[in-house]
Amino acid sequence: MDFVQHIINGLLQGSMLALMALGFSLVWGILHIVNLSHAATIMLAAFLTYFLWSGLGLDPLLSLPITMAALFIFGFLLQKYVINFVMKAPPLTTFLLTYGIETLLVSLALRAWTADMRQSKPGYANTSLVIGNLQLPYTQLAGIVVSFGLTLLVYLYLDHTKAGRAIRAVAMDRVAARLMGVNISHIYALTFGIGAALAGAYGALLSTTNAFAPNSFSIYNILAFSIVVLGGLGSIPGVLMGGVTFGLVYEFAGTYLLSQRDVIIFGILILVLVVKPTGLLGREGYGGQ
Amino acid sequence: MLDKSTRKLFLAALTPALLILILLQGAVVRSQGSPTQSPTMAATLMAYTGPFDGTLLFGIPVALTGSLSNEGNLSREGYELWKEVYNNAGGIMVGGKRYQIVTKYYDDESSAQKSATLAEKLIKEDKVNFLLGPYGTSAVLQVSTVAEKHQIPMIEGGGVAESIFSQGYKYTFLVASPAKSYLLGVIDMALAQTPAPTTVTILSADDPFSVEVADSAKTYAQNKGLKLVYYQKYPSNSTDLRAPLTEAKGKNADLFLNCGHFAESVAIMQQAKELDFLAKAYAFSVGPSLPNFQTTLKANANYVVDGTQWTADLNYNGVDLFKSPQAYHQMYIARWGHGPPYQSASATVSGIAFVQALQAAETIDPHAVRDQIAKLDIMTFYGQVKFDSRGVNIYKPMVVEQWQNGQKVTIWPPDVANGKPLWPAPAWDKR
Repeated sequence: MDFVQHIINGLLQGSMLALMALGFSLVWGILHIVNLSHAATIMLAAFLTYFLWSGLGLDPLLSLPITMAALFIFGFLLQKYVINFVMKAPPLTTFLLTYGIETLLVSLALRAWTADMRQSKPGYANTSLVIGNLQLPYTQLAGIVVSFGLTLLVYLYLDHTKAGRAIRAVAMDRVAARLMGVNISHIYALTFGIGAALAGAYGALLSTTNAFAPNSFSIYNILAFSIVVLGGLGSIPGVLMGGVTFGLVYEFAGTYLLSQRDVIIFGILILVLVVKPTGLLGREGYGGQ
Repeated sequence: MLDKSTRKLFLAALTPALLILILLQGAVVRSQGSPTQSPTMAATLMAYTGPFDGTLLFGIPVALTGSLSNEGNLSREGYELWKEVYNNAGGIMVGGKRYQIVTKYYDDESSAQKSATLAEKLIKEDKVNFLLGPYGTSAVLQVSTVAEKHQIPMIEGGGVAESIFSQGYKYTFLVASPAKSYLLGVIDMALAQTPAPTTVTILSADDPFSVEVADSAKTYAQNKGLKLVYYQKYPSNSTDLRAPLTEAKGKNADLFLNCGHFAESVAIMQQAKELDFLAKAYAFSVGPSLPNFQTTLKANANYVVDGTQWTADLNYNGVDLFKSPQAYHQMYIARWGHGPPYQSASATVSGIAFVQALQAAETIDPHAVRDQIAKLDIMTFYGQVKFDSRGVNIYKPMVVEQWQNGQKVTIWPPDVANGKPLWPAPAWDKR
């Protein structure tokens, strides 16, 4: 077995999965919403990046800030004017609403853009950095750099800025935060927007590493859910750990258990829910150590 | 003026409505539509402009979008070319009456379930006389049940798994060679090269067609003395195959076989390049025969091999209006601007088989036509068309082609080849 190459593949894939799950984790931890429209957000970003690349020739890494900004606005508005109505409703209602948004967006995307597969192919696509015997595809290297960079930024944001601390306060105790003068609904929209922007970053990266169509994103909801459950809600290192674990599992399962790969992913999820539902590093409020 | 909460409600309703309107701007209706004829086509044929005594409606649910859209659209082009050539020549004469061919398409979006639903719609609402096949074994499998239930004959060239024909159905016919023969020629070709391969890797999708191709190739390869070093099946439509490719690279197989469809064939070549995985030859069951394979991969398409139902270099002399593979090739290019892969040829000959059966039956009654289809034994530009008792054309051979310098070359069997195999494939950085 080409062990080290498999480890590399798994780490590259896993760090990107962590980015994918980070936005989902924030929304879940702070708004207490399991956002089933997360996959649709990734889809929109992938298509936006693809159209910017194929229509305007913009390199996907250069258009990344544009995509993130666009998805931030989308998430912000979506929360403020749609999801806000169900913030105080039972969880099932938010499930239904976010799932409905997901279904609506995917169906519209299928109508508008067809189910044909697309992929952004900048000049460095399908080429790799070669270190000894190891191949590190440039698109995935860019992915790991962006993932770690954004994860670090989010971590610092939550710890060192006023808005970030306000977000953490809302997660810990909504009433107390309100008493301290925090505008709750603004925080909700802000957090949801950040979550969407992070999903957007992942979508942009994904558009270079894999071919995609509107209906190829549904796995990401369950994958994000699994990663957050494994790593623990409320912990950014947990998301990283969960993502990397799943990346490695995905890679190694793909060698000799290829047809049962998805089964293994769900199997781990069930195992974690049964054995340690709070996950490995779960804590309240994305706090510091 | 509206109060604050009503205004918010209004905005909340307006935003998604606007979103819907904007996205619908890009919506295109994806049923039927015969594009306008190119001027060259009209000039080269003396088109029949006289009256017809009736029309024959052929229904086709096919993948115009989705993962099989490349193959599906090529099938549609094949059907349309058949329709136009035969209508221009005066339609189909059945029992003294002249019928015009009309085709009606629905997009099954590469979903087999949808294909079956659309076939029902074509039969019950659009009242088609006959069905022409969708693309893909999964779709044909579902639609064959619909055809059988309503006793409407279907002739197809896009679903080659023998599991379709072990159902005991009488109304579905396959003009192409069955799945099990897809990669056998490739293995024979490889074994005739120097240095001969000793090991083989098989990576297969888990849909019925791919599994049949894979199992048959595995047995054949092992019987011929090749060692199977790695064999994995992946869920259909996966395009992230870096893990199994890394593993295959570690096993150093000489011959790499993939059983799947176009989308994976492209993904595999791209990921193989990323991972610097080099086999002496890459062979695919489907993918390399499509022009898009080369336009997407460019130079990385070279040296890739596949088993194919038909190429333009073969020597057939048919009773149909195209007569020879070369003539079909020319007429297809004149009409569609690019060369025909075998998927188009399979589609065209499906229509030709209907014409021959209708003429023999001298009636448009579906049961009589079905009986005549079962008795067909004709030579066409595509090769021999004759069906065994299950409805499978086991009489036509498969050939092997390879991309060389941006062109497709028929390389096997030697008696029909118009070029020599390029073996082994050079390293990625030496191309």
